[in-house]
Amino acid sequence: MKQFSILMQKEWRENIRNYKIYWVPAIFILLGITEPVVNFFLPQILQSSGGLPEGAVFEFPTPPPEQILAAVMEQFQTIGMAVLILAYMGTVAGERKSGTATLLYVRPLSFPAYFLSKWVVASAISLVSVWVGFLAGYYYTLLFFDRVEGMELFQMVGTYSIWVLLIVSIIVAASAAMPNGGLAAAVAFAIYLILQLTDGLFGAAWSISPVKLPQYAAAWLADSPDSGSLTGAIGIAALIILALLVFGSWISWKNKAKTKV
Amino acid sequence: MDQTTLVLALLPILIIQFALMIFALVDLIKNPNPNGPKWMWGILIVVINIIGPILYFVVGRRNY
Repeated sequence: MKQFSILMQKEWRENIRNYKIYWVPAIFILLGITEPVVNFFLPQILQSSGGLPEGAVFEFPTPPPEQILAAVMEQFQTIGMAVLILAYMGTVAGERKSGTATLLYVRPLSFPAYFLSKWVVASAISLVSVWVGFLAGYYYTLLFFDRVEGMELFQMVGTYSIWVLLIVSIIVAASAAMPNGGLAAAVAFAIYLILQLTDGLFGAAWSISPVKLPQYAAAWLADSPDSGSLTGAIGIAALIILALLVFGSWISWKNKAKTKV
Repeated sequence: MDQTTLVLALLPILIIQFALMIFALVDLIKNPNPNGPKWMWGILIVVINIIGPILYFVVGRRNY
């Protein structure tokens, strides 16, 4: 336990020094703000981008605020996840390469504590980023469009947070398993795409799937998702996260010989 | 919504972009050994907004 708290401090300090605690939330806030703003100015943007005859009139129905928040989530699903992968692809692999790892591995290090400290800090920063991003999106939706029920937002963000935790676990485990950050990013991207693809192909017949969590999150805005499938999906996600934590601790122990001295 | 409130509402986007840019530039100036030529990173950070600073933080600082 003592090791864990010390490793946490080290991890936290590292994230401050490489500015991750600033730029990861900044990106999510930008993504959250941009979506409502772009939707609000869509008629003007279309008009000024040209190619339209003089005097063309547009009738744009105002999109419902729930749809804007769902669109914010879509942005997080693509650009946001890519940012998380870029930010944490090197969390273990980069350390092995830069030599920080030698300083740690020569000591009697508990690898579960080591891996867990990385996972906890990466998850904390990712979750806070996603939350402030949604908060910014919520505020701008309120400003430009209309109110969304606070409870609905809360439920949606809560469900989506579990998905974020799952993705962060995949990224950190991939970083522990791969020899360098680039490969870890490639593996994490590949897993992410394969998950989306299989859900697209077979998802209709398979409602209890953690890949469906973002859809269930968006479903809170319109209605409520099927509670049975939701709890099932959350349960499976929790199991996968646990398995990834065990796998990550084991593989970071096994790969310690790959450290550059 | 009138013009001034609109500008005020859009101000945070600009502030975040500038903050990212300045953070990245300050770090680049202090960095003794960036991954690639310094002038190139300087141009990337200033010209490509949002993505330039991120690329610098991820690739240029060698902490991947």
